[in-house]
Amino acid sequence: MADDRTVGELERFLAERADRLMRTAVLLTGSRDAGQDLLQTALERLLRHWRRLDGDPEGYLRRTLYNLAADGFRRQGRLQRKLLLLRAGEPPPADPITEVDLRDALVRLLLQLPPRQRAVLVLRYWEQLTEAETAAVLGWPEGTVKSAASRGLQRLKDLADGWQNTDSHAELKGQRA
Amino acid sequence: MNTDVEDLLRSGMEQFTTEVRAPAGLAEAAGRRQRQRRRRVVARTAVACGTVAVTAAAVALVVVTGGSRAPAPGTALSPAQARTVAYVTRRVEAALASENLVFVARSDNETTGNYVTWAYGPRSRWEAFTSSSCGHVLANGNCTNRGGSEPVWAQGTALVGGRLVGAYVTYFDHRYSLSPRVPQLRPWQASACSTNAALSLAAPIIPTVHWSSYIHATLACGAASVTGHVRVDGVETTEITGKPDTVKLSAGYTKVVKAKFATVRWTLYVSPATYLPVRMVGSTQTYGDGSSYTSSFVTNVQWLPATPANVAKALVTIPPGFHRYFGLDQ
Repeated sequence: MADDRTVGELERFLAERADRLMRTAVLLTGSRDAGQDLLQTALERLLRHWRRLDGDPEGYLRRTLYNLAADGFRRQGRLQRKLLLLRAGEPPPADPITEVDLRDALVRLLLQLPPRQRAVLVLRYWEQLTEAETAAVLGWPEGTVKSAASRGLQRLKDLADGWQNTDSHAELKGQRA
Repeated sequence: MNTDVEDLLRSGMEQFTTEVRAPAGLAEAAGRRQRQRRRRVVARTAVACGTVAVTAAAVALVVVTGGSRAPAPGTALSPAQARTVAYVTRRVEAALASENLVFVARSDNETTGNYVTWAYGPRSRWEAFTSSSCGHVLANGNCTNRGGSEPVWAQGTALVGGRLVGAYVTYFDHRYSLSPRVPQLRPWQASACSTNAALSLAAPIIPTVHWSSYIHATLACGAASVTGHVRVDGVETTEITGKPDTVKLSAGYTKVVKAKFATVRWTLYVSPATYLPVRMVGSTQTYGDGSSYTSSFVTNVQWLPATPANVAKALVTIPPGFHRYFGLDQ
Protein backbone atom coordinates (compact mmCIF):
# COMPACT_ATOMS: atom_id res chain seq x y z
CA MET A 1 0.00 0.00 0.00
CA ALA A 2 1.49 3.28 -1.04
CA ASP A 3 0.61 5.34 2.01
CA ASP A 4 2.68 8.39 2.87
CA ARG A 5 4.63 6.54 5.54
CA THR A 6 5.65 3.81 3.08
CA VAL A 7 6.70 6.41 0.52
CA GLY A 8 8.70 8.15 3.25
CA GLU A 9 10.46 4.89 4.13
CA LEU A 10 11.13 4.25 0.47
CA GLU A 11 12.57 7.74 0.12
CA ARG A 12 14.98 7.13 2.98
CA PHE A 13 16.03 3.83 1.42
CA LEU A 14 16.55 5.53 -1.96
CA ALA A 15 18.52 8.41 -0.46
CA GLU A 16 21.43 5.99 -0.04
CA ARG A 17 21.10 3.66 -2.98
CA ALA A 18 19.20 5.38 -5.77
CA ASP A 19 22.26 6.54 -7.71
CA ARG A 20 23.79 3.09 -7.88
CA LEU A 21 20.45 1.54 -8.83
CA MET A 22 19.93 4.18 -11.51
CA ARG A 23 23.37 3.43 -12.97
CA THR A 24 22.49 -0.26 -13.08
CA ALA A 25 19.19 0.52 -14.78
CA VAL A 26 20.95 2.70 -17.38
CA LEU A 27 23.37 -0.12 -18.14
CA LEU A 28 20.52 -2.56 -18.53
CA THR A 29 18.50 -0.37 -20.86
CA GLY A 30 21.05 1.80 -22.62
CA SER A 31 19.65 5.24 -21.87
CA ARG A 32 18.73 7.46 -18.96
CA ASP A 33 15.07 7.71 -19.91
CA ALA A 34 14.58 3.98 -20.35
CA GLY A 35 16.67 3.35 -17.21
CA GLN A 36 14.47 5.68 -15.19
CA ASP A 37 11.38 3.97 -16.55
CA LEU A 38 12.75 0.56 -15.61
CA LEU A 39 13.70 1.74 -12.12
CA GLN A 40 10.26 3.32 -11.64
CA THR A 41 8.54 0.08 -12.60
CA ALA A 42 10.73 -1.92 -10.23
CA LEU A 43 10.07 0.61 -7.45
CA GLU A 44 6.36 0.37 -8.02
CA ARG A 45 6.59 -3.38 -7.52
CA LEU A 46 8.74 -2.90 -4.45
CA LEU A 47 6.17 -0.53 -3.02
CA ARG A 48 3.44 -3.11 -3.50
CA HIS A 49 5.45 -5.64 -1.47
CA TRP A 50 7.11 -3.24 0.95
CA ARG A 51 5.22 -4.35 4.04
CA ARG A 52 5.83 -8.03 3.37
CA LEU A 53 9.55 -7.74 2.71
CA ASP A 54 11.79 -9.32 5.24
CA GLY A 55 14.30 -6.49 5.74
CA ASP A 56 15.92 -6.73 2.34
CA PRO A 57 14.36 -4.19 -0.04
CA GLU A 58 17.53 -3.76 -2.09
CA GLY A 59 17.79 -7.47 -2.85
CA TYR A 60 14.18 -7.55 -3.96
CA LEU A 61 14.59 -4.41 -6.06
CA ARG A 62 17.70 -5.71 -7.78
CA ARG A 63 16.10 -9.03 -8.60
CA THR A 64 13.10 -7.19 -10.03
CA LEU A 65 15.31 -4.87 -12.10
CA TYR A 66 17.31 -7.70 -13.58
CA ASN A 67 14.33 -9.92 -14.25
CA LEU A 68 12.41 -7.11 -15.93
CA ALA A 69 15.48 -6.32 -18.01
CA ALA A 70 16.18 -9.95 -18.89
CA ASP A 71 12.59 -10.38 -19.99
CA GLY A 72 13.13 -7.58 -22.50
CA PHE A 73 11.59 -4.78 -20.47
CA ARG A 74 8.63 -3.47 -22.48
CA ARG A 75 10.19 -4.70 -25.73
CA GLN A 76 9.64 -1.29 -27.19
CA GLY A 77 13.17 0.05 -27.29
CA ARG A 78 13.77 -0.98 -30.87
CA LEU A 79 14.25 2.52 -32.21
CA GLN A 80 16.53 3.28 -29.32
CA ARG A 81 18.56 0.16 -29.96
CA LYS A 82 18.84 1.04 -33.64
CA LEU A 83 20.11 4.48 -32.69
CA LEU A 84 22.66 2.91 -30.37
CA LEU A 85 23.67 0.56 -33.14
CA LEU A 86 24.28 3.51 -35.43
CA ARG A 87 26.28 5.26 -32.76
CA ALA A 88 28.30 2.12 -32.13
CA GLY A 89 29.03 1.98 -35.84
CA GLU A 90 30.62 5.41 -35.83
CA PRO A 91 34.41 5.25 -35.94
CA PRO A 92 36.15 5.98 -32.67
CA PRO A 93 38.06 9.24 -32.73
CA ALA A 94 41.70 9.64 -33.87
CA ASP A 95 43.40 6.60 -32.32
CA PRO A 96 41.04 3.66 -32.62
CA ILE A 97 42.86 1.47 -30.16
CA THR A 98 43.00 3.84 -27.24
CA GLU A 99 41.62 2.16 -24.20
CA VAL A 100 39.11 4.85 -23.38
CA ASP A 101 37.52 4.65 -26.82
CA LEU A 102 37.45 0.90 -26.64
CA ARG A 103 35.79 0.99 -23.23
CA ASP A 104 33.12 3.28 -24.56
CA ALA A 105 32.70 1.16 -27.66
CA LEU A 106 32.41 -2.01 -25.60
CA VAL A 107 29.62 -0.60 -23.49
CA ARG A 108 27.77 0.54 -26.59
CA LEU A 109 28.23 -2.94 -28.03
CA LEU A 110 26.99 -4.41 -24.76
CA LEU A 111 23.76 -2.50 -25.25
CA GLN A 112 23.23 -4.29 -28.56
CA LEU A 113 23.30 -7.73 -26.99
CA PRO A 114 20.03 -9.57 -26.34
CA PRO A 115 18.52 -8.55 -22.98
CA ARG A 116 19.32 -11.86 -21.26
CA GLN A 117 22.99 -11.78 -22.23
CA ARG A 118 23.20 -8.13 -21.26
CA ALA A 119 21.64 -8.79 -17.85
CA VAL A 120 24.13 -11.59 -17.22
CA LEU A 121 27.12 -9.45 -18.19
CA VAL A 122 25.95 -6.53 -16.07
CA LEU A 123 25.50 -8.84 -13.09
CA ARG A 124 28.89 -10.48 -13.67
CA TYR A 125 31.00 -7.39 -14.43
CA TRP A 126 29.11 -4.48 -12.90
CA GLU A 127 27.77 -6.15 -9.79
CA GLN A 128 30.76 -8.52 -9.79
CA LEU A 129 28.70 -11.55 -8.87
CA THR A 130 29.91 -15.09 -9.42
CA GLU A 131 28.12 -17.31 -11.92
CA ALA A 132 26.30 -19.06 -9.09
CA GLU A 133 25.14 -15.77 -7.57
CA THR A 134 24.07 -14.47 -10.99
CA ALA A 135 22.07 -17.64 -11.52
CA ALA A 136 20.43 -17.19 -8.13
CA VAL A 137 19.42 -13.58 -8.84
CA LEU A 138 17.89 -14.43 -12.19
CA GLY A 139 16.43 -17.73 -11.05
CA TRP A 140 18.17 -19.55 -13.89
CA PRO A 141 20.29 -22.71 -13.89
CA GLU A 142 24.00 -21.97 -13.56
CA GLY A 143 24.69 -23.56 -16.94
CA THR A 144 22.36 -21.06 -18.63
CA VAL A 145 24.23 -18.19 -17.01
CA LYS A 146 27.56 -19.68 -18.08
CA SER A 147 26.55 -20.02 -21.69
CA ALA A 148 24.89 -16.59 -21.82
CA ALA A 149 28.01 -14.98 -20.33
CA SER A 150 30.29 -16.87 -22.65
CA ARG A 151 28.25 -16.04 -25.76
CA GLY A 152 27.94 -12.40 -24.73
CA LEU A 153 31.64 -12.03 -24.05
CA GLN A 154 32.58 -13.80 -27.25
CA ARG A 155 30.32 -11.45 -29.20
CA LEU A 156 31.91 -8.44 -27.50
CA LYS A 157 35.36 -9.86 -28.17
CA ASP A 158 34.57 -10.34 -31.86
CA LEU A 159 33.18 -6.86 -32.13
CA ALA A 160 36.08 -5.40 -30.17
CA ASP A 161 38.55 -7.12 -32.49
CA GLY A 162 36.74 -5.36 -35.30
CA TRP A 163 37.66 -2.03 -33.75
CA GLN A 164 41.32 -2.84 -33.69
CA ASN A 165 41.85 -1.89 -37.31
CA THR A 166 40.09 0.65 -39.39
CA ASP A 167 39.49 -1.69 -42.31
CA SER A 168 37.52 -4.21 -40.35
CA HIS A 169 35.77 -1.37 -38.59
CA ALA A 170 34.67 0.05 -41.94
CA GLU A 171 33.59 -3.45 -42.94
CA LEU A 172 31.53 -3.76 -39.78
CA LYS A 173 29.94 -0.42 -40.44
CA GLY A 174 29.22 -1.48 -44.02
CA GLN A 175 27.49 -4.64 -42.84
CA ARG A 176 25.25 -2.64 -40.53
CA ALA A 177 24.40 -0.10 -43.17
CA MET B 1 42.04 -11.38 -24.67
CA ASN B 2 39.00 -12.33 -22.66
CA THR B 3 40.53 -10.79 -19.56
CA ASP B 4 41.22 -7.58 -21.47
CA VAL B 5 37.65 -7.43 -22.70
CA GLU B 6 36.34 -8.19 -19.22
CA ASP B 7 38.47 -5.46 -17.64
CA LEU B 8 37.59 -2.95 -20.33
CA LEU B 9 33.92 -3.80 -20.08
CA ARG B 10 34.01 -3.40 -16.32
CA SER B 11 35.72 -0.03 -16.44
CA GLY B 12 33.62 0.96 -19.45
CA MET B 13 30.42 0.39 -17.48
CA GLU B 14 31.81 2.52 -14.66
CA GLN B 15 32.78 5.24 -17.13
CA PHE B 16 29.51 5.07 -19.07
CA THR B 17 27.42 5.68 -15.96
CA THR B 18 29.75 7.84 -13.92
CA GLU B 19 27.62 10.96 -14.42
CA VAL B 20 24.31 9.19 -13.91
CA ARG B 21 22.34 10.31 -10.87
CA ALA B 22 18.89 9.22 -9.86
CA PRO B 23 16.32 11.98 -10.37
CA ALA B 24 14.58 13.37 -7.31
CA GLY B 25 11.08 12.22 -6.40
CA LEU B 26 11.45 8.60 -7.52
CA ALA B 27 9.61 7.26 -4.48
CA GLU B 28 6.78 9.77 -4.80
CA ALA B 29 6.38 8.98 -8.50
CA ALA B 30 6.32 5.24 -7.79
CA GLY B 31 3.69 5.82 -5.09
CA ARG B 32 1.59 7.87 -7.50
CA ARG B 33 1.82 5.21 -10.18
CA GLN B 34 0.86 2.54 -7.72
CA ARG B 35 -2.16 4.52 -6.53
CA GLN B 36 -3.27 5.01 -10.15
CA ARG B 37 -2.82 1.33 -10.79
CA ARG B 38 -4.85 0.42 -7.71
CA ARG B 39 -7.65 2.71 -8.87
CA ARG B 40 -7.66 0.95 -12.25
CA VAL B 41 -7.72 -2.48 -10.58
CA VAL B 42 -10.53 -1.41 -8.29
CA ALA B 43 -12.55 0.00 -11.17
CA ARG B 44 -12.13 -3.16 -13.25
CA THR B 45 -12.98 -5.41 -10.32
CA ALA B 46 -16.04 -3.37 -9.49
CA VAL B 47 -17.33 -3.82 -13.01
CA ALA B 48 -16.70 -7.56 -12.99
CA CYS B 49 -17.73 -8.55 -9.48
CA GLY B 50 -19.88 -5.80 -8.04
CA THR B 51 -18.90 -3.28 -5.45
CA VAL B 52 -19.32 -5.57 -2.43
CA ALA B 53 -16.16 -7.51 -3.21
CA VAL B 54 -14.15 -4.54 -4.39
CA THR B 55 -11.88 -3.91 -1.43
CA ALA B 56 -10.90 -7.52 -0.79
CA ALA B 57 -10.37 -8.26 -4.46
CA ALA B 58 -8.23 -5.20 -4.97
CA VAL B 59 -6.06 -6.12 -2.02
CA ALA B 60 -5.74 -9.70 -3.24
CA LEU B 61 -4.79 -8.57 -6.74
CA VAL B 62 -2.22 -6.20 -5.41
CA VAL B 63 -0.71 -9.01 -3.38
CA VAL B 64 -0.52 -11.65 -6.08
CA THR B 65 0.44 -9.70 -9.17
CA GLY B 66 4.04 -9.04 -10.21
CA GLY B 67 7.36 -9.55 -8.43
CA SER B 68 6.44 -13.05 -7.37
CA ARG B 69 10.06 -13.83 -6.58
CA ALA B 70 9.93 -11.78 -3.39
CA PRO B 71 9.99 -14.03 -0.37
CA ALA B 72 7.02 -13.46 1.92
CA PRO B 73 7.70 -13.88 5.61
CA GLY B 74 7.16 -17.45 6.68
CA THR B 75 7.32 -18.72 3.09
CA ALA B 76 9.77 -21.53 2.44
CA LEU B 77 12.55 -20.35 0.13
CA SER B 78 14.03 -22.38 -2.69
CA PRO B 79 17.78 -23.02 -2.32
CA ALA B 80 18.49 -20.46 -5.06
CA GLN B 81 16.33 -17.84 -3.35
CA ALA B 82 17.93 -18.60 -0.01
CA ARG B 83 21.39 -18.14 -1.55
CA THR B 84 20.30 -14.86 -3.13
CA VAL B 85 18.82 -13.53 0.05
CA ALA B 86 21.91 -14.58 1.99
CA TYR B 87 24.21 -12.94 -0.54
CA VAL B 88 22.33 -9.67 -0.76
CA THR B 89 21.88 -9.54 2.98
CA ARG B 90 25.61 -10.09 3.46
CA ARG B 91 26.38 -7.35 1.01
CA VAL B 92 23.99 -4.80 2.45
CA GLU B 93 25.08 -5.62 5.96
CA ALA B 94 28.69 -5.20 4.93
CA ALA B 95 27.91 -1.78 3.51
CA LEU B 96 25.89 -0.61 6.47
CA ALA B 97 27.78 -2.18 9.31
CA SER B 98 31.28 -0.90 8.70
CA GLU B 99 31.05 0.69 12.12
CA ASN B 100 30.88 -2.82 13.54
CA LEU B 101 34.24 -3.68 12.07
CA VAL B 102 37.57 -2.78 13.50
CA PHE B 103 39.55 -0.54 11.16
CA VAL B 104 43.27 -1.22 10.89
CA ALA B 105 45.51 0.87 8.65
CA ARG B 106 49.24 0.58 8.11
CA SER B 107 51.12 3.43 6.44
CA ASP B 108 54.75 3.30 5.39
CA ASN B 109 57.14 6.13 4.69
CA GLU B 110 60.90 5.60 4.51
CA THR B 111 61.72 9.05 5.86
CA THR B 112 59.02 9.95 8.34
CA GLY B 113 58.36 6.46 9.68
CA ASN B 114 55.51 4.04 9.77
CA TYR B 115 52.08 4.41 11.32
CA VAL B 116 49.48 1.93 12.46
CA THR B 117 45.93 3.08 13.17
CA TRP B 118 43.30 1.05 14.97
CA ALA B 119 39.77 2.41 15.28
CA TYR B 120 36.44 1.13 16.47
CA GLY B 121 33.57 3.57 17.00
CA PRO B 122 34.89 6.42 19.17
CA ARG B 123 37.98 4.39 20.14
CA SER B 124 41.24 4.93 18.31
CA ARG B 125 44.96 4.31 18.58
CA TRP B 126 47.35 5.98 16.20
CA GLU B 127 50.88 4.74 16.72
CA ALA B 128 54.09 5.89 15.08
CA PHE B 129 57.13 3.68 14.55
CA THR B 130 60.63 4.73 13.61
CA SER B 131 61.80 4.43 10.03
CA SER B 132 64.87 2.35 9.26
CA SER B 133 66.87 5.57 8.82
CA CYS B 134 66.08 6.60 12.42
CA GLY B 135 66.33 3.26 14.20
CA HIS B 136 66.29 3.59 17.98
CA VAL B 137 65.05 6.83 19.60
CA LEU B 138 66.92 8.12 22.63
CA ALA B 139 65.18 9.67 25.65
CA ASN B 140 65.95 13.13 24.26
CA GLY B 141 64.13 12.28 21.05
CA ASN B 142 67.21 11.93 18.83
CA CYS B 143 67.64 8.99 16.48
CA THR B 144 70.59 6.66 16.80
CA ASN B 145 70.34 5.91 13.07
CA ARG B 146 70.81 2.25 13.92
CA GLY B 147 68.38 -0.50 14.78
CA GLY B 148 64.97 -1.55 13.55
CA SER B 149 61.49 -0.14 13.69
CA GLU B 150 60.22 0.64 17.21
CA PRO B 151 57.22 2.50 18.63
CA VAL B 152 57.86 6.22 19.15
CA TRP B 153 54.50 7.53 20.30
CA ALA B 154 50.82 6.66 20.39
CA GLN B 155 47.81 8.89 20.59
CA GLY B 156 44.11 8.24 20.69
CA THR B 157 41.75 7.07 23.40
CA ALA B 158 42.34 5.18 26.64
CA LEU B 159 39.94 3.67 29.15
CA VAL B 160 40.48 5.29 32.53
CA GLY B 161 38.06 4.52 35.37
CA GLY B 162 35.61 3.03 32.85
CA ARG B 163 35.53 6.25 30.78
CA LEU B 164 37.05 7.04 27.40
CA VAL B 165 39.62 9.83 27.55
CA GLY B 166 42.20 11.24 25.17
CA ALA B 167 45.70 9.80 25.65
CA TYR B 168 49.19 10.56 24.35
CA VAL B 169 52.15 8.30 25.14
CA THR B 170 55.78 8.85 24.20
CA TYR B 171 57.65 5.58 24.49
CA PHE B 172 61.18 6.92 24.21
CA ASP B 173 60.92 9.03 27.40
CA HIS B 174 58.37 6.85 29.20
CA ARG B 175 55.80 9.58 29.66
CA TYR B 176 52.11 9.97 29.00
CA SER B 177 49.42 12.61 29.09
CA LEU B 178 45.65 12.33 29.43
CA SER B 179 42.91 14.66 28.32
CA PRO B 180 39.18 14.63 29.13
CA ARG B 181 38.54 15.33 25.45
CA VAL B 182 38.27 12.27 23.21
CA PRO B 183 40.20 13.07 20.02
CA GLN B 184 38.28 13.60 16.80
CA LEU B 185 39.22 11.28 13.99
CA ARG B 186 40.36 12.69 10.68
CA PRO B 187 38.97 13.16 8.12
CA TRP B 188 36.02 14.28 10.17
CA GLN B 189 34.48 16.01 7.21
CA ALA B 190 31.57 14.56 5.33
CA SER B 191 33.60 14.51 2.10
CA ALA B 192 36.94 15.49 0.57
CA CYS B 193 35.32 18.35 -1.34
CA SER B 194 37.19 21.16 0.42
CA THR B 195 40.91 21.78 -0.03
CA ASN B 196 41.52 21.29 3.69
CA ALA B 197 39.80 17.93 3.60
CA ALA B 198 41.77 16.89 0.52
CA LEU B 199 45.01 17.83 2.29
CA SER B 200 44.33 15.34 5.05
CA LEU B 201 44.00 12.56 2.50
CA ALA B 202 47.65 12.80 1.49
CA ALA B 203 48.76 11.90 5.01
CA PRO B 204 48.57 8.49 6.71
CA ILE B 205 44.96 7.46 6.51
CA ILE B 206 42.76 7.94 9.54
CA PRO B 207 39.22 6.66 9.51
CA THR B 208 36.14 8.68 8.90
CA VAL B 209 32.80 7.76 10.39
CA HIS B 210 30.95 6.70 7.27
CA TRP B 211 33.33 5.77 4.50
CA SER B 212 30.68 4.87 1.93
CA SER B 213 28.85 8.19 2.14
CA TYR B 214 32.16 10.07 2.43
CA ILE B 215 33.34 8.64 -0.89
CA HIS B 216 29.98 9.06 -2.60
CA ALA B 217 29.90 12.73 -1.57
CA THR B 218 33.49 13.22 -2.73
CA LEU B 219 32.65 11.79 -6.14
CA ALA B 220 29.46 13.84 -6.37
CA CYS B 221 31.22 17.19 -5.89
CA GLY B 222 33.87 16.34 -8.49
CA ALA B 223 36.79 16.31 -6.03
CA ALA B 224 37.55 12.79 -7.26
CA SER B 225 36.55 10.48 -10.05
CA VAL B 226 36.46 6.77 -10.70
CA THR B 227 39.50 6.00 -12.82
CA GLY B 228 39.38 2.25 -13.18
CA HIS B 229 39.49 -1.15 -11.56
CA VAL B 230 42.62 -2.57 -10.03
CA ARG B 231 43.41 -5.74 -8.16
CA VAL B 232 44.96 -5.02 -4.78
CA ASP B 233 46.47 -8.13 -3.16
CA GLY B 234 44.21 -10.29 -5.30
CA VAL B 235 41.07 -8.33 -4.43
CA GLU B 236 39.11 -6.45 -7.07
CA THR B 237 38.89 -2.74 -6.21
CA THR B 238 37.53 0.43 -7.73
CA GLU B 239 40.20 3.07 -8.18
CA ILE B 240 39.15 6.58 -7.14
CA THR B 241 41.55 9.39 -7.91
CA GLY B 242 41.36 12.78 -6.25
CA LYS B 243 41.79 15.97 -8.24
CA PRO B 244 45.27 17.35 -7.41
CA ASP B 245 44.91 20.26 -5.01
CA THR B 246 47.45 23.05 -4.59
CA VAL B 247 47.66 25.42 -1.66
CA LYS B 248 49.87 28.43 -1.00
CA LEU B 249 51.77 27.85 2.22
CA SER B 250 51.71 30.39 5.02
CA ALA B 251 54.71 32.70 5.42
CA GLY B 252 55.83 30.97 8.62
CA TYR B 253 55.55 27.52 7.10
CA THR B 254 57.33 28.70 3.95
CA LYS B 255 60.30 29.69 6.12
CA VAL B 256 60.48 26.28 7.74
CA VAL B 257 60.07 24.05 4.69
CA LYS B 258 61.59 26.48 2.17
CA ALA B 259 58.73 26.08 -0.24
CA LYS B 260 55.81 28.27 -1.21
CA PHE B 261 53.28 25.76 -2.47
CA ALA B 262 52.11 22.26 -1.70
CA THR B 263 50.32 20.00 -4.15
CA VAL B 264 48.40 17.05 -2.81
CA ARG B 265 47.56 13.95 -4.78
CA TRP B 266 45.68 10.88 -3.57
CA THR B 267 44.19 7.70 -4.92
CA LEU B 268 41.87 5.47 -3.01
CA TYR B 269 41.17 1.82 -3.80
CA VAL B 270 37.80 0.76 -2.48
CA SER B 271 35.71 -2.37 -2.47
CA PRO B 272 33.17 -1.93 -5.27
CA ALA B 273 30.48 -3.54 -3.12
CA THR B 274 30.85 -1.55 0.07
CA TYR B 275 32.99 1.48 -0.79
CA LEU B 276 35.18 0.64 2.16
CA PRO B 277 38.83 1.49 1.47
CA VAL B 278 41.39 -1.24 0.91
CA ARG B 279 44.42 0.88 0.05
CA MET B 280 45.26 4.53 -0.23
CA VAL B 281 48.20 6.22 -1.88
CA GLY B 282 48.81 9.87 -1.08
CA SER B 283 51.58 12.36 -1.69
CA THR B 284 52.38 15.97 -0.84
CA GLN B 285 54.84 17.85 -3.00
CA THR B 286 56.21 21.13 -1.65
CA TYR B 287 57.97 23.48 -4.07
CA GLY B 288 58.37 27.04 -5.22
CA ASP B 289 61.22 28.52 -3.22
CA GLY B 290 64.19 26.88 -4.76
CA SER B 291 63.49 23.45 -3.34
CA SER B 292 61.13 20.62 -4.13
CA TYR B 293 60.30 17.71 -1.88
CA THR B 294 57.73 14.96 -2.14
CA SER B 295 56.50 12.95 0.79
CA SER B 296 54.33 9.96 -0.01
CA PHE B 297 52.41 7.32 1.89
CA VAL B 298 50.96 3.97 1.01
CA THR B 299 48.30 2.91 3.47
CA ASN B 300 46.83 -0.59 3.51
CA VAL B 301 43.51 -1.02 5.26
CA GLN B 302 41.99 -4.10 6.84
CA TRP B 303 38.51 -4.50 8.32
CA LEU B 304 38.51 -6.99 11.15
CA PRO B 305 35.63 -8.50 13.12
CA ALA B 306 34.89 -6.74 16.38
CA THR B 307 36.22 -9.46 18.67
CA PRO B 308 37.19 -8.39 22.22
CA ALA B 309 40.87 -8.79 21.28
CA ASN B 310 40.56 -6.58 18.18
CA VAL B 311 38.47 -3.94 19.96
CA ALA B 312 41.06 -3.81 22.76
CA LYS B 313 43.73 -2.89 20.20
CA ALA B 314 41.77 0.26 19.36
CA LEU B 315 42.76 1.69 22.74
CA VAL B 316 46.01 3.27 23.85
CA THR B 317 47.44 1.43 26.85
CA ILE B 318 49.75 3.13 29.29
CA PRO B 319 52.72 0.85 29.94
CA PRO B 320 53.53 0.29 33.63
CA GLY B 321 56.17 2.61 35.06
CA PHE B 322 55.43 5.49 32.66
CA HIS B 323 55.15 8.95 34.24
CA ARG B 324 52.21 11.20 33.69
CA TYR B 325 52.85 14.79 32.74
CA PHE B 326 50.33 17.59 32.65
CA GLY B 327 51.52 19.74 29.78
CA LEU B 328 48.81 19.00 27.23
CA ASP B 329 45.80 17.83 29.13
CA GLN B 330 44.64 20.94 30.94
